[in-house]
Amino acid sequence: MTNVSYGIRLKVWGEHACFTRPEMKVERVSYDVMTPSAARGILEAIHWKPAIRWVVDAIHVLEPIRFQSIRRNEVGSKAPAGKIKSALKRGDLEDLSLLADEDRQQRASTVLVKPAYVIEAHFELTAKAGPEDNEGKHLDIFNRRAARGQCFHQPCLGTREFAAYFELIPPDAPLPSPIAEPSRDLGFMLWDIDHRAPGRPSLFFRAMLDQGVVRIPAPGSPEIRR
Amino acid sequence: MSVLASLARAYERLPDAPPFGFSSEKIGFVISLNEDGSVASVTDLRGGSGKKRTPELRQVPQAVKRASGIAPNTFWDKTAYVLGVTAGDDKRTGREHAAFVQRHLEMLEGTEDAGLLALRRFLESWRPEHFVPPLWPEEMKDQNVIFALESDRLQKIMLHDRPAAKALWARGAGADESAAQICLVSGTRGPVARLHPSIKGVWGAQQAGAALVSFNLGAFTSYGHEQGDNAPVSEAAAFAYTAALNRFLEKDSGHRIQIGDASVVFWADASDLEAADQAESFFAAFLQEGDAAQPLDVKADEKAATEKLKIQLSRIRNGEQLADVAPKLESGVRFCVLGLAPNAARLSIRFYFEDEFGTLTKNYQKFVSDMRVEPPPREPSPPLWRYLREIAVLGKAENIPPNLAGEWTRAILSGAPYPRTLLSAVLTRIRADGEVNALCAGILKALLIRTFKREAPVALDTENRNKGYLLGRLFAVYEQAQVAALGSKVNATIKDKFYGSASAQPRKVFPLLDKGAVNHLSKVGKQSPGRRVNLEKLIGAIMDLMEPGEDPFPASLAADEQALFGLGYHHQRNAFFAKSTDTTEAGEPA
Repeated sequence: MTNVSYGIRLKVWGEHACFTRPEMKVERVSYDVMTPSAARGILEAIHWKPAIRWVVDAIHVLEPIRFQSIRRNEVGSKAPAGKIKSALKRGDLEDLSLLADEDRQQRASTVLVKPAYVIEAHFELTAKAGPEDNEGKHLDIFNRRAARGQCFHQPCLGTREFAAYFELIPPDAPLPSPIAEPSRDLGFMLWDIDHRAPGRPSLFFRAMLDQGVVRIPAPGSPEIRR
Repeated sequence: MSVLASLARAYERLPDAPPFGFSSEKIGFVISLNEDGSVASVTDLRGGSGKKRTPELRQVPQAVKRASGIAPNTFWDKTAYVLGVTAGDDKRTGREHAAFVQRHLEMLEGTEDAGLLALRRFLESWRPEHFVPPLWPEEMKDQNVIFALESDRLQKIMLHDRPAAKALWARGAGADESAAQICLVSGTRGPVARLHPSIKGVWGAQQAGAALVSFNLGAFTSYGHEQGDNAPVSEAAAFAYTAALNRFLEKDSGHRIQIGDASVVFWADASDLEAADQAESFFAAFLQEGDAAQPLDVKADEKAATEKLKIQLSRIRNGEQLADVAPKLESGVRFCVLGLAPNAARLSIRFYFEDEFGTLTKNYQKFVSDMRVEPPPREPSPPLWRYLREIAVLGKAENIPPNLAGEWTRAILSGAPYPRTLLSAVLTRIRADGEVNALCAGILKALLIRTFKREAPVALDTENRNKGYLLGRLFAVYEQAQVAALGSKVNATIKDKFYGSASAQPRKVFPLLDKGAVNHLSKVGKQSPGRRVNLEKLIGAIMDLMEPGEDPFPASLAADEQALFGLGYHHQRNAFFAKSTDTTEAGEPA
């Protein structure tokens, strides 16, 4: 449940969103609702320090879930890290090029149309918190930044090209009502990626859309399949 | 529920799906061996006759996925691998055959089973030069072949069906297990599939099979993962969903139709198998009825079943509740529709719909009622592809814009507003082809109702005051005046010359048309004054509804008003053909 004293509620919305399913990564298909990792990414864009760790509690879906399919021309390779290193050492850019015309890949994306969510989250202090770090301080910083619209980088809805707009919901204000769809089972959804474990495994949980709200299990809870 | 999870569930409900580790492949010939390894006979398994012989689908050990490498299958493969013989001139055949032989000799070492021993002896003694007719027919080259013991073959048992062979295959298949991870389909731990089996049968994709889940290029991988690790799916789940999808994509499986360039696969998920079958046949008929080419050898009871289906469908189309027509399907039947589009060696999902069958039926009924116009098109309830052809250049199926077809189908299935690009596509086609038929008019009306949230009349509405509608009606009357004056054999009527500009920029064009109409009407008046009076009355009635203060001839019409223009034109024009009992003059072409 939300830690009421140190929890926040943030409304985010945008034109499109693509919370890519891991199995449909090439021809992208979005999950039906925002993933907890995407919500964490938005919060971290607004305020994050090594002293805190964001934990998402719930995601409220405010707009009906609609999809649209778009096709985009992309390329098939990534910038090779090894080549860039050697170019840095050499000091010249020869052979460090990617001709997009020769590497074209057309990829289709099934994206969400005009999504809007309310993220309910709280943060916890990590081992890196110093003596002057406390929850109240970071909460104030976050509230101030979110109210002003300050962020380190523009938050995004899944992928960077879909920018997210955000608005802080003050603690005493009522929440906007979620969609009135009947409850349904969304299947297994990505909870997050365990970056500390070897091989960076993905963690999944069974997502239920219950009266328009998805409850996210807490880290370490047995509902997370690892 | 995700696509893969629903497909994996569907696999469990398939009555005759290949078991884990096996796949259905097209097999052409069986090589029958004696116990000592010599060839007893070569039997052709293909069906059909003459040139069009189709190989039979059989369940054989799972096909290995090969792109450009050499990887032999177990106990079966094409003749290049099995016999070292191929129709074309290929340098690799020798290596392929050597790989097949080596793999099998290693696997069959120390075996004592009669069938496997025969196979081993055959492989040890076989040379590609032995491939001569009449025992080895020419048409066998490049077909898939399997083996059998001669004594077994007469009982229809093939080599890979023998228990010893199955045991060997099961042991070999589990040899290279990757580390266990959580599977995102089932939620349980299991060895992760590195490469998922191929999906065959999607129109427009590679013959060798395409992949729904693949990460073959650098740009598609993340976090340093390779291939299947990017999306952990267990071997069992990968097998399940690909087996189900391959089964559904087979020709005449009753689970697939083609919409534009998307191969659409649909299945029902219900505890009652009969209800599931019924739901699937309903859905197939929703989208395809009207063109079903009945096979000539349809049995009597199947004929009765199709007649019953037709009656039920016409009741649904007329708006009756599904609960009255087929009460078992009202609830408890989940229906899934998946549209797959090819993209070289990959498959992209055009749309995916999963909901109760009752909801799907309601959306279909909404689609039918939105499209209804009076007079109706020539065929009473056209199938979906007939509508799609209306947006294609020259009406050819290969010119249907694929993205638009996909988005439109998604909108139809989910009851959502139609894409706006559909309106511009239809208007462009009307302008280019110069024809507004009942199908186009239906699409325009549906767009107005769904996307622009306007009221649009089904039949001629003489009270409607919308600018676009009135101008369309007026245009039709002007055209009729011209036909009455100059006859219908004119080279270019005002519709051919002026439809586009009249619907887009009325203010420029309608004064010209009006002047021309005056001349036409005076000529008509000389031949048949009654007809002239009727036409003038009609023009007067239409203009009566226009208010001078409301800019009845605007400089340009917006897209939705252009749609109403087309609708009004269609209604008014067909009113002339319907009212043949009213004309008092004889010999008027109706």
